[in-house]
Amino acid sequence: MAPDVFDRETMLDLSVNVIPLFIILFFIVLFAAVAPFGYSLVDTTIQMALLVIPFIGLAILTYFSGKAIAEAEAKMEERGDLAHAENDTPGAHAGESTPDAPDAPDATEGDAESAVETRSTSDQD
Amino acid sequence: MDLSGQLALTVLMGVFLVGVAVLLTRVEDWRSYTPLASGGVYGDETGHAVQHKPSGITRWLTTVDHKDIGMLYGAYAIIAFVWGGLAVLIMRTELADPAATLIEAGFYNGLLTSHGITMLFLFGTPIIAAFSNYFVPLLIGADDMAFPRINAIAFWLLPPGALLIWAGFLIPGMAPSQTSWTMYTPLSIEQTHAATDLMLLGLHLTGVSATMGAINFIATIFTERGDDVNWANLDIFSWTILTQSGLILFAFPLLGSALIMLLLDRNFGTTFFTVDGGSPILWQHLFWFFGHPEVYILVLPPMGIVSYVLPKFSGRKLFGFKFVVYSTLAIGVLSFGVWAHHMFSTGIDPRVRASFMAVSMAIAIPSAVKTFNWITTMWNGKIRLTTPMLFCIGFVSNFIIGGVTGVFLAAIPIDLVLHDTYYVVGHFHYIVMGAIAFAGFAGLYYWYPIFTGKMYQRTLAKAHFWLWMVGTNLTFLAMLLLGYEGMPRRYATYTFDAGIVNLDVITALHQVATLGAFLIAFGTIVWVFNFVQSWYEGPDVGEDPWGLEDSTLYGREFEWHRNRLRTAVADGGEEDVVTDGGNEE
Repeated sequence: MAPDVFDRETMLDLSVNVIPLFIILFFIVLFAAVAPFGYSLVDTTIQMALLVIPFIGLAILTYFSGKAIAEAEAKMEERGDLAHAENDTPGAHAGESTPDAPDAPDATEGDAESAVETRSTSDQD
Repeated sequence: MDLSGQLALTVLMGVFLVGVAVLLTRVEDWRSYTPLASGGVYGDETGHAVQHKPSGITRWLTTVDHKDIGMLYGAYAIIAFVWGGLAVLIMRTELADPAATLIEAGFYNGLLTSHGITMLFLFGTPIIAAFSNYFVPLLIGADDMAFPRINAIAFWLLPPGALLIWAGFLIPGMAPSQTSWTMYTPLSIEQTHAATDLMLLGLHLTGVSATMGAINFIATIFTERGDDVNWANLDIFSWTILTQSGLILFAFPLLGSALIMLLLDRNFGTTFFTVDGGSPILWQHLFWFFGHPEVYILVLPPMGIVSYVLPKFSGRKLFGFKFVVYSTLAIGVLSFGVWAHHMFSTGIDPRVRASFMAVSMAIAIPSAVKTFNWITTMWNGKIRLTTPMLFCIGFVSNFIIGGVTGVFLAAIPIDLVLHDTYYVVGHFHYIVMGAIAFAGFAGLYYWYPIFTGKMYQRTLAKAHFWLWMVGTNLTFLAMLLLGYEGMPRRYATYTFDAGIVNLDVITALHQVATLGAFLIAFGTIVWVFNFVQSWYEGPDVGEDPWGLEDSTLYGREFEWHRNRLRTAVADGGEEDVVTDGGNEE
């Protein structure tokens, strides 16, 4: 495993889950400080557990999924592949035209519009 | 009739059914297609023989091929969709005027129960399983599912489940279950209908089926991926199926346990959920601990379909792919921490209630992140308004309305006002119909060329979309307004104190909702006609029906499709290929 598996880019990707974590944390602090209904051992414990358990669960899952994805990317980069997380056609090369053109479906029946030239630029996150 | 007579009749019926089965297996023309046993995308097949599937209905009854099972799931889900749709059309017709003019209230309750259960358990979950069975192995480069036979068993548990759930309508003299889909106690314990017991047993079967399927998908995605598929380039649809399967694994067994306890309460005098025993609130906690994740079980894969299909017609890849992946996982975890937001008005401790509100607010973020990703993917893209794209855009639009109305409901004070009104019905129907069904149909149209080899008719498809879009928004916007006016849910009749609200306004809004429901029904008829007719008479598609081959958006499933076309075996040949080198004598 690379020592810098959680590099800046990975941390940026994971930020999407930091926001709900922060919201839960905000409410943990708020409910600890402000208790209009008072504190009671059982109810306050349940109240806090309902916030803390999802917080921990989300943090753990985010950590391990982030680690798995970052390590997989690192391996791909080592192999010299393009590290496109969203590359759903491994092995397909952008812009490589196919010699035999596909059958154009009947315009009155098929839904396929004329094959417009699609962008092959990738939107890296 | 004495016992021996009954036994003789039973044996006779068994022999008769075997005879029917034998007769059916001799019917040869069941429009079987693709004689290949499976289509390995990247030549992973080790055998060189063409292994023919059995012809006729035997193929469908004995298949363990993930694609065939996907088709079975799809056919089953569509039948259920029609059933649930007809039920709601009768209900909406009844609600067009305040009195019980068409059907009596008890039958209305039966239809309401059947509509909810059918659409969630018999249409929603199976139509997702149709896509996942057919395409996940193709998308991850697997030969088949990890456990093909368990896959088949999981499907075959569903038809008996459906028959049990619908038993109250199918068996003469038996009144349908009237518990609503939530089966709240003590009503569901005290109701003496035998149909309710059968419905609970049927639900249990569908739960077992969903759990078996989920285990299969988790095993498949973890262990059967091709060499070139890793966690970094796993497609978004498979990610959502993996997350959904995880939710099923934790949610459905709980539902099964709760259903058994309810059956025991009904039939054996236990007191799990009685007022003097474990309390009806225990049922609500157990039910919603399953029920809320169920909402995300239903919505995550459709989100995956939209995330997969929408970029194809935006001319660019999904913006912020990993944001969508991580937010999917976040929804998966947090969905188990919000169940009591369905129970704000039950009198649970206000401190506990506040925690559920907080997590409900937090879970809105991942959903919003996805929405912005879809919009950003379209931004500055080369948009092609094909039918699948229209359904994706419709999904995003409806999902925003459904989502924002849900954020309001997450706030306790607002929920206390709107609880059990049509506002809630409008909110979740914007999600289940406006979003989930729209995404499902985006998938059906997008992959139609793959599972039929034909192309549908464009004009009819677009007519279907617009009928649905207008119908959905008419129906469910009217419901949101009805909720603001205080119209309660689950009532067959309605009347109001003129000092509070004008009955004419309520009636008019109900009529608008009914009109919308009929537009949706008409759109569905157009869709069925289009799909069936095109399947028989549509033009054969080529390798690249969507014109994506020269881009980076072609997709592994269409690579498989291309491969299948290029290696197609002419059918009609009688000759078996010898694989063992022949027999030299």
